[in-house]
Amino acid sequence: MNKPPLLRRYWAASALLLALSQQSWAQTIDPDGFKNPLQQLEFNSALKQHEFERATLEALNISDPLEQWNRRVYHFNYRFDQWVFLPIVKGYTKVTPHFLRTGVSSFFSHLGEIPTLANSLLQLKGHRAMETTARILFNTIFGIGGIWDPASKMGLAKNSEDFGQTLGYYGVPSGPYLMLPLLGPSNVRDTSGIVADYTLDFTVNWLNVAKESERHPEIFALKIVDQRYITKLRYGQMNSPFEYEKIRYAYTKSRELKIAE
Amino acid sequence: MLKRLLTPLYIALSLLCALSLNAQAKQVATTYQFPLTNAFEASIAGTPSALRPALPDDADIRQRDYSLRLRPEREFTLPSNFWPVKTFHYRLAKQSGPAPLIFIIAGTGAHYSSNTTEYLKKLFYGAGFHVAQISSPTAYDFMVGASRYATPGYSPQDARDLYTVMQAIKKQQRTLQVTDWHLTGYSLGGLQAAFVSHLDEQEQSFNFKRVLLLNPPVNLYTSVNNLSRLVHTQVVGTSETRTFYQLMLDKLTRYFNSKGRFDFSEAMLFDLQNSSQKLNQNELAMLIGSAFRFFSADINFTSDLINRRGIITPPQQKINDGTNLTPFFKRALLCDFECYLQEQLLPFWHSHFNNQQATQVAADNADLERLIQASSLYALTDYLSSSKKIGVMHNADDIILGQGDLGFLKQHFAERLTLYPYGGHLGNLDYLDNAADILEFFHE
Repeated sequence: MNKPPLLRRYWAASALLLALSQQSWAQTIDPDGFKNPLQQLEFNSALKQHEFERATLEALNISDPLEQWNRRVYHFNYRFDQWVFLPIVKGYTKVTPHFLRTGVSSFFSHLGEIPTLANSLLQLKGHRAMETTARILFNTIFGIGGIWDPASKMGLAKNSEDFGQTLGYYGVPSGPYLMLPLLGPSNVRDTSGIVADYTLDFTVNWLNVAKESERHPEIFALKIVDQRYITKLRYGQMNSPFEYEKIRYAYTKSRELKIAE
Repeated sequence: MLKRLLTPLYIALSLLCALSLNAQAKQVATTYQFPLTNAFEASIAGTPSALRPALPDDADIRQRDYSLRLRPEREFTLPSNFWPVKTFHYRLAKQSGPAPLIFIIAGTGAHYSSNTTEYLKKLFYGAGFHVAQISSPTAYDFMVGASRYATPGYSPQDARDLYTVMQAIKKQQRTLQVTDWHLTGYSLGGLQAAFVSHLDEQEQSFNFKRVLLLNPPVNLYTSVNNLSRLVHTQVVGTSETRTFYQLMLDKLTRYFNSKGRFDFSEAMLFDLQNSSQKLNQNELAMLIGSAFRFFSADINFTSDLINRRGIITPPQQKINDGTNLTPFFKRALLCDFECYLQEQLLPFWHSHFNNQQATQVAADNADLERLIQASSLYALTDYLSSSKKIGVMHNADDIILGQGDLGFLKQHFAERLTLYPYGGHLGNLDYLDNAADILEFFHE
């Protein structure tokens, strides 16, 4: 099958044009071996582009009417973390062997599948609800009440859905940003979500943990220590005087991503 | 047949190239197979985890963060919201017996616990070193807690501040059995390591045995300019109303949707670059440039506030834990590194270090020239050429270098320069071959 010569000529011409227009991609190497990677970039010719400024100033616009209060809570959390929370977590890692901590983490994460299932259903995400149901079943039976996580090894990855995401899914706006004491960054919508999920936990009372925690607050305490143990965030890790703004942006955007997906 | 003919030709050609280009630099094996040949991708994503060396687990390292009170006066003069950094912190990992100690100086704006510093700690600790990790003199915590003038950028003074910190660490850890002292630094920390080593030749507190500079700037001003230029790449069309960040987030949203789940990890970065939502060259560059602008904003704000210059924060401004800092953040963001240089560093340097009296008219440009000269590797040319203990590792496609910089390194470091063909800025630092070369340098 011969292509008509006209077409071929057109192809050759366009290939040439393309090569010319992409001139900046052709790399020249200096005599001393320097490849000068910046030559591969296309710069805004006039250098008048203020895209960084435009994007960043826009990104700093996040509804935060309670900022004064939020900032004080941020500093309170930071201090509490350094002086109380992290030393406890450190002690916890010191006195418990690794496999025990993993077991504790899987166990509480297993309990967290219940809100995920409920919220997947509420968002009509059938596939995710089925995956989560399968995880709950496998991990309860083969993982002995969730202290192991065989489901992940079987290729059923853990999902995470909460009521805040469900509200967002149905278009409920996030509302003002909130820094919660001890719990960290949130907003009005997600805070009501936390309350709803907590109530759900209590009503379902999966494996009788919620009810038992009432009589044995140490279960609740262990849950909180485990939560801090698995949370990677450290106040101060951004090493910036503007960490508050950065956390606020990162939290808001990551919630938007989670809701969109 | 063709192949048989071409192979010797190819070998001869590549040998010729290698000979003429790498006349003096130490040869990197021709089998060097770092997979990311795009400098920007490498700089952001680093080495794929399968190609990294085996490292000790955090739990198996005897380490702790220690604090030093180096600037006690600031505990009273600085606002309360600076409380976490008023005392200076560093991290030390100790071997159980006598061992050599290595100081690691972090790169621009970086904390002592940043990823690269942690990686180097594990690498050296696994090889039997005590390891002390120090934040960059351009980092927020160092500027507040350790820096004498809190106006970083003039390398001799930054080295002086670092040296004071190292001496304080030595004093605090006097029971630690140290057999030899070593020094390394990456990026800007590499340049500073050279100045610290030079200072040590006069002060003799450590007599460093080996000093390794990892991807340092050669001309500090070139590096700063390169990084500043990156935010001017073409990333958003003129008819586009979304901002650059929104574009990135939209790409991520589409990517996560196609994956069916939200998972933010290093592996995700590589996967994203193999998907249809791949970030292009300009976008990657813009991300690096943006990160540099955020560092610059931190430096701007912190230096101005500590010295009460009134450029970003009005000197009379009352600040406490609840104060909204966003207006100052915005002002600091609008001033890039060049602006910091002109408004804060240069005037400060002129009044503190420059004794030459020049008439104001031509002074500014001459000042800048002298400051650049004094802060770059050029200032140490003789020392670097003659001191056999200093080595440097760099990449031919590092984005912080300019024309002639590699020539300078080749001329003055000769066989003490190890030059890799790829890696961008620090992207190959945790690649197997590089890790082996780094350790070999200290074991020679």
